[in-house]
Amino acid sequence: MDRRSFVRLLTAAPVASAVGARSVPPYRVVSAYAPAALPGMPGPWPGRVVDVRSNACLDPAGDVVNESVVRAMLSRGMRALTGEKSTTDAWRRFFEPSDVVGIKVNCGGHPFVVSSPAIVAEIVRQLVAVGLAPSHVHVYERFQNQLDAVDYAPHLPEGVQIVAAEGWNLRVDNSAYDPDTYVEAELFGEENTRSNMMRLVTRRLTKIVNVPNMKDHGATGVTGCLKNVAYGSFSNVARTHSRGTSHTFSFVGTLAAVEPLRSRTVLQIMDGLSGVWHGGPFAHTRRYVFHPRRILLGTDPVAIDRLLLDVIDEKRRAERAISIWDRSPRFVKLDDTAARDDDPNVNIMIREPGHVEYASTLGLGVYDRARLRLEEIEL
Amino acid sequence: MSVALLLAALPALYWPEPVATAAAVREAGIERLLVPPDQVDAWRAAGVSAEPLRALDRKARVSLDEPGLLVRADVASATLRPWVVANGWRFRRDPAGRFLYDALPPGKAALATAEVFVHGADAVLAIDPRDLVQVGLMLRFLATVPDAELPEVADVAVVDDGSALLGEVLSLLARRNLLFRLVGAPDPDARLTVQLGTEEFPRDEAADPDAFALAVRRRLTDARRSVRVFGSEVVLVRAVADSSHARIHLLNYGQRPIAGLRVRFAGRWDAGRALGDGIGPMPLEDHSPSDDATEFTLPELAIYTVVDLEAR
Repeated sequence: MDRRSFVRLLTAAPVASAVGARSVPPYRVVSAYAPAALPGMPGPWPGRVVDVRSNACLDPAGDVVNESVVRAMLSRGMRALTGEKSTTDAWRRFFEPSDVVGIKVNCGGHPFVVSSPAIVAEIVRQLVAVGLAPSHVHVYERFQNQLDAVDYAPHLPEGVQIVAAEGWNLRVDNSAYDPDTYVEAELFGEENTRSNMMRLVTRRLTKIVNVPNMKDHGATGVTGCLKNVAYGSFSNVARTHSRGTSHTFSFVGTLAAVEPLRSRTVLQIMDGLSGVWHGGPFAHTRRYVFHPRRILLGTDPVAIDRLLLDVIDEKRRAERAISIWDRSPRFVKLDDTAARDDDPNVNIMIREPGHVEYASTLGLGVYDRARLRLEEIEL
Repeated sequence: MSVALLLAALPALYWPEPVATAAAVREAGIERLLVPPDQVDAWRAAGVSAEPLRALDRKARVSLDEPGLLVRADVASATLRPWVVANGWRFRRDPAGRFLYDALPPGKAALATAEVFVHGADAVLAIDPRDLVQVGLMLRFLATVPDAELPEVADVAVVDDGSALLGEVLSLLARRNLLFRLVGAPDPDARLTVQLGTEEFPRDEAADPDAFALAVRRRLTDARRSVRVFGSEVVLVRAVADSSHARIHLLNYGQRPIAGLRVRFAGRWDAGRALGDGIGPMPLEDHSPSDDATEFTLPELAIYTVVDLEAR
């Protein structure tokens, strides 16, 4: 690896989007890592999404996961995505025995909407089938307390690493982040202006499988592939929202595009068994939980998140809640999470679902719905 | 430094507790106390070096704030920038001043002790007795810090008009680690001179000191700042340096130790060394010199760490 740091200055400029012009803060991106010949995002299949559905993946109440159905959904989805006849060959299109693979899970929606242990276990099983040692598989999150709450270990073979960058969200431990790989920006006058990539990503992993959920998000509109892998691999990201304003419109994509994260994230598997349509990214109660009973697969995070925008917005419409695109101040109660949790027509800040489109302008994938190549499979 | 000089440089502890606590004081390693005048003889008889502090002398001292963090929902947030209360700017504004931390609540004394030491101030600490051990540990640690007489590092010259309003501005500049020195008149050699009431810095804009300090920062630009701290919003810095040696004092005003604090200091410096309270000597990690600045990571910061760097 060339250890010279590539410094990229992204200057402040207004960006036109489907929802109007947004100002983008000046970003200074510092990384010593060059992109792969074919970066993992958007990977070999830009715009392509395989959507596998099965009513049998959960029990009627939505509480219990049917592991064999999930296994079949993943197998079918991976074969459809790659065109391979066997499941193992499909996984071999992405991974080889010498790889060190990270599985970026999402545990923030505990207890009701997290990356399903059944999906994570099947991913690990397939990686081992490809020839990886279990110790070369890392299930990771930013916060250990969230990983502990989900407790993946009983579902995984001995040797799989389950690791977090910080104990919990106190912002006092930076030691697991790479001091030489970061995005620098002053957003709200903060002094701590750097967001650093996890050392695990820069110095250990060769590939990443991204396993987000289908979730609403108070700042970004939705949290899917892009936000899970970006905000889940960098430090000091909560600073992007303050007092009703969020810089997530440009920050999510900017982080996701930083090398080596962009090149190494080679596979997106969105866990849509259950989701949350309001109050996200959390899911403290069942009130806003729903059960799409789907798994979306692809290499293009923008394409999958483009579909997610519709999934969450359609569910909200069905529940007579305001759209994730609604920017009216009359629905905003600043930082009043209790009011937000009580009423699906309350926002705590202006949401930025346009972050998905913005990410497409950075080359991370295809946003235009008409250009997506969607394959729907019903099991 | 001689023991006598060293003791004089350390903060003084005011201890109105009965002489029956002498064993605890000695066990804490505290060798010098200020006590009520009528108790001086008893303390000396108990083998503790004691000097009188009269009530009048206490009252004559400038009272200081409890150092640490405050919840101020109007101007700060837990997630973005906690509100730091620090007294360094007062010491800097009045180097000959005589100060008092009066009735510090428990848990504050060690930080106050370090704060006084960093700025070489004349301050008396009236602590909660439960903090005796922590103060003793801090004093013993401070006694191990090598002496270094070096010029102050400052990026901003601030014309001191003596006003309370300017005091608020100084407090906010310090909170942002915008290193300043106080001057009597505009300094043409300074990177930036701040004088309230000028066209550049109207007095009414200082009514919001937080916004004012941010405006100063943006006028100076982060690239021209001598020191930056990454990984925390609650660590304040004082720096002194000449062409061959730099010393960076880091004070943690938060309630928890910080791991992996990244520091950027202007100039090209060798890897250097750090000495932290409760930690001792520690290496600086991920040392990264460039043309205009040197970066390093401090593995751990409890309350106070001093970093010494040598020029390359």
